[in-house]
Amino acid sequence: MAPRIQSQRVSNTLLPYLTSSSTSSSSFNTSSCSPSLSLARQFSATAAPQTKLRRQMFEWLNTDGVNYKHHVPGEMNYLAKGRRDADSAPSNRPFPNNRNFVSESVLSEELRNEVYVQVVEQKKSVRAVSVQFGIDMKRIAAVVRLVELERRQRSQGKPMAMPYARAVHEMVPVTPLAERPVFHEPINDLPAHPSTGAQIFYPTTESRSFTRIDAGRVFSAAPEFQDAQRAAYPHPSDLANVIFKKPRKIEWVGKGANYRQVLQPADVRIPHPQQVQMERDRIAFPQERRAVLDRHAERLAKQEKVEQTRRERAKKVHEDSINLVEPEGGRFDFRIKDAFFTNKTVGHDGRAPFAPGRRYGVPTNDRKRGVVKIPTFVKA
Amino acid sequence: MVVRIRLARFGNKHDPFYNIVVAQARSARGGKPLEVIGTYNPIPKRPVSLYNENVNTRPYKEVALDQARAKYWLGVGAQPSDPVWKLLNMAGLVAPKPTTYNKA
Amino acid sequence: MRNRASNTLSKGKIRQSWNKYNLYNLQRFRSPPTVNRTFFQQRWAAKAISRAYHGEQVREGQWKRMFSKRIRSVFPMNTADLAADDGSKMSAGRGSGLLTKEERQPARLVPYTHMAFAPLERRLDVAIFRALFASSARQARQFVIHGAVTVNGQKMRHPSYLLNPGDLFQVDPERVMFATGAPKTKFERRETRQLKQKEAEEEAEAAAEAEAEAETEKSESSEKPKKDDSRGTLKALMAQAKAIMSTDKDLAAKRKQELRGFQKAVRRVLSRSETSTILTDSLEAQFSELTLMLNAKRTEKKPKDDNKKKDVQEKPAESEASTETAVETKPSTPEAGDKLSEAFQKATEGNEVDTSELSDEEFDILRRALTQMRDNPIDTSKPYATPWRPRDYMSAFAFIPRYLEVNQNICAAVYLRHPVARPGFAEVPTPFSEAIATPAYGWYLKRRW
Repeated sequence: MAPRIQSQRVSNTLLPYLTSSSTSSSSFNTSSCSPSLSLARQFSATAAPQTKLRRQMFEWLNTDGVNYKHHVPGEMNYLAKGRRDADSAPSNRPFPNNRNFVSESVLSEELRNEVYVQVVEQKKSVRAVSVQFGIDMKRIAAVVRLVELERRQRSQGKPMAMPYARAVHEMVPVTPLAERPVFHEPINDLPAHPSTGAQIFYPTTESRSFTRIDAGRVFSAAPEFQDAQRAAYPHPSDLANVIFKKPRKIEWVGKGANYRQVLQPADVRIPHPQQVQMERDRIAFPQERRAVLDRHAERLAKQEKVEQTRRERAKKVHEDSINLVEPEGGRFDFRIKDAFFTNKTVGHDGRAPFAPGRRYGVPTNDRKRGVVKIPTFVKA
Repeated sequence: MVVRIRLARFGNKHDPFYNIVVAQARSARGGKPLEVIGTYNPIPKRPVSLYNENVNTRPYKEVALDQARAKYWLGVGAQPSDPVWKLLNMAGLVAPKPTTYNKA
Repeated sequence: MRNRASNTLSKGKIRQSWNKYNLYNLQRFRSPPTVNRTFFQQRWAAKAISRAYHGEQVREGQWKRMFSKRIRSVFPMNTADLAADDGSKMSAGRGSGLLTKEERQPARLVPYTHMAFAPLERRLDVAIFRALFASSARQARQFVIHGAVTVNGQKMRHPSYLLNPGDLFQVDPERVMFATGAPKTKFERRETRQLKQKEAEEEAEAAAEAEAEAETEKSESSEKPKKDDSRGTLKALMAQAKAIMSTDKDLAAKRKQELRGFQKAVRRVLSRSETSTILTDSLEAQFSELTLMLNAKRTEKKPKDDNKKKDVQEKPAESEASTETAVETKPSTPEAGDKLSEAFQKATEGNEVDTSELSDEEFDILRRALTQMRDNPIDTSKPYATPWRPRDYMSAFAFIPRYLEVNQNICAAVYLRHPVARPGFAEVPTPFSEAIATPAYGWYLKRRW
């Protein structure tokens, strides 16, 4: 990308080229916008068909609205409530009536490239980079994908929208790449679970501590923990430790359609549970800063290793199930998958809706009302 | 009567899709077969990979096959039709079909 | 789809659009009065107003099928708090936590009802609009239908395709530049027409001349006049580069002429230099070649820096002065420009260069001019005003919600997750206050179908 505009002074020198927001052109345009003032109408016998509303609109556009026509690089330029003063700080609310929506910052070009370099070239784990820059792990994955795609397209010489990119980054708030990473977004978001929607009155004894594990069990109507179990997990993050090693350890309750997992405490469900353990370590050993960090790194490495082997195993299973045949002289390969036509997979009458292959004696539902007829997913 | 392993066409106009079926040779194409043992999608797909440059970019066709059932039916004398013979050959279940061209 | 997307002033409805009428409507919008209105009337009005903005291209029945009363929300967790307390503190006392008055802060409410239209944000056309790839949802829809959009690398022609978390969608960059760029004015269109005619004539002449020249050169192989000629063009080149980077605000047309001249000059220089093996018309190739030359010079220059420190220190001041004069007067032949052009010429000829005569600033000027030329060229064939600039009033609508991760360079974005609400904030961009969001949500909560 072209050198980004860094300071106001530099951008001013570039402005006539980049945005062409010169005063002369804008005044010229505004005068041509308001037909009531334009010379073309003067010879007409009747007055211009200008409604009151139109006149008011152009009046506003030529007075207060002038500010919104062009942007100042590096500043947000959203509609302000009432008159906007020159010296008042620009609002980060694009909609003046909606106080609950703010324009949030995007990753800068340099930060994106840095993330890509750290993940792909330096082979750091997504988890570590996420904590370092305060960027959500999903976003890191997306950034890596997008930067990779961009590099590919660049090498292929495909057209790009560089001036557009520059302009957008001038208009929206940007998280820069700084020496000390600026946190981009909260990374430990806990999604609200639907089963916690209900208010439950649950009396417990005051002598026994009622922890987050117990609360989760109450919400999912699981039997209460016995004292022995309770003793095994003095803190909910101990449970997290067990579950990350063996995800199958999560308990299931209920019957039939109601069969469900027991709601786990927040310590398990947040994206970075290792951080809770580090904080606990820090509270337990406030003097040993170095040792705490070392232990944290160790835990992270262990976790990464477990996840890596899990990923590799899943990949291998997937690859083993596909037999790729390349016939000689043919234009196409054949992917031969294993399929199993048993009572279980096709149903007792061979017509189960989940059976592989097309079905006999059942009309296709591509003309039924309410059925989605367009693709519901695209394979990545 | 001869039992054949053959393709039964499904799908729509310009969008074929086949079940690999075991059926009596004289039965209708769209009739209910003895057994379905696989599927064959003759519309080639192109692998779209946004991540990996080195991926094989040749288009491919998808076949799903219950190998155990296919072996059983071949063992009891079911005769594959020519297209199915080709597919079974690729799955490594039968030798390539001897053609008159090869014999000569 | 009924065509009712107009931004009328009398109705004053807010749409998903960057139109200036829409901006005005947004600015003067007031919530409808509630006094003396029945509850039904209030909800009806709120529903009508918010549906005019949220998915007005979607039929009501279709939307009602999409609506879900369940709203996604997240709560940012503080790991230090989680570590300090296993939850028993919260459940102590009467279940509301044993907290002193100072500790107890008013909880920020989660604006659930602002999320009523969250399912619509999954639609491909809406996501394209939110990623700032189109100037309205209707335009985004058109891009999809016209086949300019891919999802995960495959062409997707359904605007109502519901994106799944992790889907990568990409719009043709040319369309995006058209959608977000300023349109050509009447004068620009006319100018373009005239220039096209002129260029066609000139090219024909130039071709004839080149043929004649080639013949004479073959016979004579004269070097001297050629060299002198290149010197002149280089001087002009630098002057033009400076003019481009200068701060004075000219008329757009004049600036364009300058740029066009610069472009031509670059082409001429490249055609003269012996290093350029292939004579290319493409700006990309031109740019890479010129930057290569400049980079080569830069690296040569660095080791010599220590010797010429004195020189360099003097130079910036001098060149600054010269640029200032260039701004005030016409940048005809400033001294620094002269030296630069000389050095540049030598570089083009592949000789040893005396780099001390060039200041860093001049490098930057030339490089910046070149970068701009490459990234944002004047191209009359484009459907938007060139050089590209954002369309008017774009900045007032420019924001990118967090559930999208956008790469503007290639006009691609990833739909990371579904929009969520969090304490104090809702991720669904809606221009309406709680006074409209809540009755509208209430309208759809009650099934009437």
